[in-house]
Amino acid sequence: MNIIVLLIPLALLLAITFVVAFIWAANQGQYDDLETPAHKMLLDETIEHIERNSKNDL
Amino acid sequence: MNLKVSLNQDLICISPAVSLCKHCGSKNNQNKNGFCCLGCKTVYNLLNSSGLGNYYTLRAKTAEAEFIKPIESVAHNYQYLDDPEFKKKYSNPSATKMDFYLEGIHCAACLWLIEKLPTLCSEVLTSNLDVGRSVVHITIKQGGFFAPVAKTLAELGYNPHAIEHDTQAHLLQVKENRSWLIRIGVAGACAGNVMLMSVPLYSGLTGKLGIAFQWLSLLLFLPIVFYCATPFYRAAWASLYSKTISIDQPIVLAIVLGTLASIAHLISGSDLVYFDSLAALVFLLLSSRYILRRIQQNTFHSSHMLHFLSPSLAKLIDLKTGATKEVNVSVLKRGDYIKVNPSEVLPADGIVRFGTSSINAALLTGESVPKSVCAGEIVFSGTVNEDGVIDIEVTELGANTRLGKILKQIESGSLKKAEISTFADKVARWFLLAVFLAALIVFLSSSSFSEGFSRALALIIVTCPCALALATPLAMSVALGRAAKSGILIKGADVLEKISQAKNIILDKTGTLTEGNFEVLGFYQNKQIDNLKEIIYALEAQSKHPFAKAITSFLKPQIKNTLPEIFNYKETIGLGVSGSILNQQFEIRPLRSAYHSAVAISCNQEQVCEIYLGDVIRKETIRSIKKVKRFKLNPFILSGDNKGAVENIAWQLKIPFSQTEACADPETKKLFIENHPQSIMVGDGANDALALSTAFVGIAVHGSMEVSLRAADVYLTNPGLTPVVHLLELARDTRNTIYRNFAFSLFYNFIGGIAAATGHVTPLFAAILMPLSAFTVFGSSMIGARK
Repeated sequence: MNIIVLLIPLALLLAITFVVAFIWAANQGQYDDLETPAHKMLLDETIEHIERNSKNDL
Repeated sequence: MNLKVSLNQDLICISPAVSLCKHCGSKNNQNKNGFCCLGCKTVYNLLNSSGLGNYYTLRAKTAEAEFIKPIESVAHNYQYLDDPEFKKKYSNPSATKMDFYLEGIHCAACLWLIEKLPTLCSEVLTSNLDVGRSVVHITIKQGGFFAPVAKTLAELGYNPHAIEHDTQAHLLQVKENRSWLIRIGVAGACAGNVMLMSVPLYSGLTGKLGIAFQWLSLLLFLPIVFYCATPFYRAAWASLYSKTISIDQPIVLAIVLGTLASIAHLISGSDLVYFDSLAALVFLLLSSRYILRRIQQNTFHSSHMLHFLSPSLAKLIDLKTGATKEVNVSVLKRGDYIKVNPSEVLPADGIVRFGTSSINAALLTGESVPKSVCAGEIVFSGTVNEDGVIDIEVTELGANTRLGKILKQIESGSLKKAEISTFADKVARWFLLAVFLAALIVFLSSSSFSEGFSRALALIIVTCPCALALATPLAMSVALGRAAKSGILIKGADVLEKISQAKNIILDKTGTLTEGNFEVLGFYQNKQIDNLKEIIYALEAQSKHPFAKAITSFLKPQIKNTLPEIFNYKETIGLGVSGSILNQQFEIRPLRSAYHSAVAISCNQEQVCEIYLGDVIRKETIRSIKKVKRFKLNPFILSGDNKGAVENIAWQLKIPFSQTEACADPETKKLFIENHPQSIMVGDGANDALALSTAFVGIAVHGSMEVSLRAADVYLTNPGLTPVVHLLELARDTRNTIYRNFAFSLFYNFIGGIAAATGHVTPLFAAILMPLSAFTVFGSSMIGARK
């Protein structure tokens, strides 16, 4: 059980890292517009997908 | 914004059938080369020649076919965008950035196309689209022009409207949203970890390790109490300062007392520590309030954007050359001459200098009969030019126009709008009293001081109205989202609650109950004359007056013989038309009456026929009014039109004449509203704007003027009264959901209270009861949404 003395601070450290990363991302404005990036992600893949498909057809 | 366009179109086929337009996919193509119109062909060729043909493949996969429209021809050249005055207001100092609100953004293909704008216009450096807001941020080269960019956007089918470059208010809002989000993130992370720490404690961990876990949960709880929960402290203090009780006060009380008690217990070595429950509570409350906030912002944004759909352009006449130039209204000056074409809205107050026309002032005064104007007469901004082309000398602009003055009154009046105490606040008041009384009774009736104290404390903590505070925001978020989906834009969360408290519904006539167009109601022939209908048709066919239009469209199917030839045709503005046919002098002139609109036809000075005209009622109005009455709302008609027209409509709708008021000007309407408190006002025109802003709830119907949109609490994007009925139903459903939520949370609090009074409350009990009540309320709100 002594290992818990090491694991708990490690877990907390990890949690703090993620919270800091989240605060940084929020301040960067990454959560201001939740709709457009969702579309954009879909977009690139769709085009590549189409191109790949058309190449396969040839 | 969800402006639905219902076009009768089939799905865009991946292998295009011969009969479908290659761009928009509509069926009715006359041309054989595969397009329905020139606009579509231009876009198709433009995209393919720029290597952007992928748009179609992409669109076939992502777009809903009903949103794709044929391209309309672009009438504007957008020169006004490059006007230095205009740039100063709408662009950044170096004049390279501008934001546009685009109509018709619907799918990922649009996004792709808009962001490829630099390929189409060499001037454009970057083009970033915000799909949710339909706003594109465009950067152009130093010294470049915006007009060609806007023209390209319009040619692609996205009608652009310049909007003010990131305003201070918008930046502040973004900043505030971010800080809310960070609060929620921190609260979530801390609450999650506190719960992790609590699990071993609940499963029986004791000794040194147990104490260490308790101290760790305190450490993790500190950011929540000192940082995340601050909005609640502020809100509670604000309502305390204004001597009212809101739901925030019992929450803050529970947080503060819970924290202090837990710390005291921790130091004294007891295991009555509530950090996990309190952390979860703060996290849930923050989240629910953030959701409501975002939904309100979105609806507000949509209704705000609608302002830009009204025309803000004017055709400025160069007095030296006589040429016209399109400019934004904001750059007009007094003394400028402007040209107004038929069916355009007048952009400023002024004096007619050239041309004759009839002016429809229905939106400004409520009068349904257009007024004829000729050179020298005064016309007002916001009225519609019906038939002729007129040149106007501008006398007043912007805030000094009649319309602007109404707007000013509304803006100063909107702050005074009656605040209602919401149901939640009322409950909170009783709740707080009940909790304190219960705590006092528990304290006094206990055997020992310390036990009584800890039980009373446990009672206050465990009855913290977490679910109660979640009940309203959750139900409201769901309702606002549902409303926006069906085209009803609601500007505030309390509006729905106000609607369910209203007693009267006051309706404007022209444009709200009626279509706002004239139709023939009666045709009475006094004397037999051969071919009379043909004669009337021939005479009226040459006039552009709305009466003439109504009469010709009424007579058209009844015409059997060839039309007679007219000699000496003469039209006098405001006095009708005359002409001679087969040596007989015919004359059609309006009958002056306060009760109805009519024209008389005379032959050689002898009256032979009378035609009655009126503004016809909308098809679904009668059914809607019946439904409205079922909501126990008392209907009234309040109109600026004449008494006869109003009573005619009231009779058709079975509304007693005592509940109508005719010939009402904006001030009379306002007074009427003030004499009828707790009224919903439904209207469209500038003459209703004051009433809309004074009313308990103001609803602006589809096609309303900008002033009314600003004044109203609700805007309907679909025409007619049917959305009003939907809104009433929604308000009722929401109220029921809120009642149900309150019943659930009070039930849980009651159980918690009993348990605390009898000394059965442990931290584990609180940790289960509090989230359980929150999730019940959440589930109840969601069930309410599905109906």
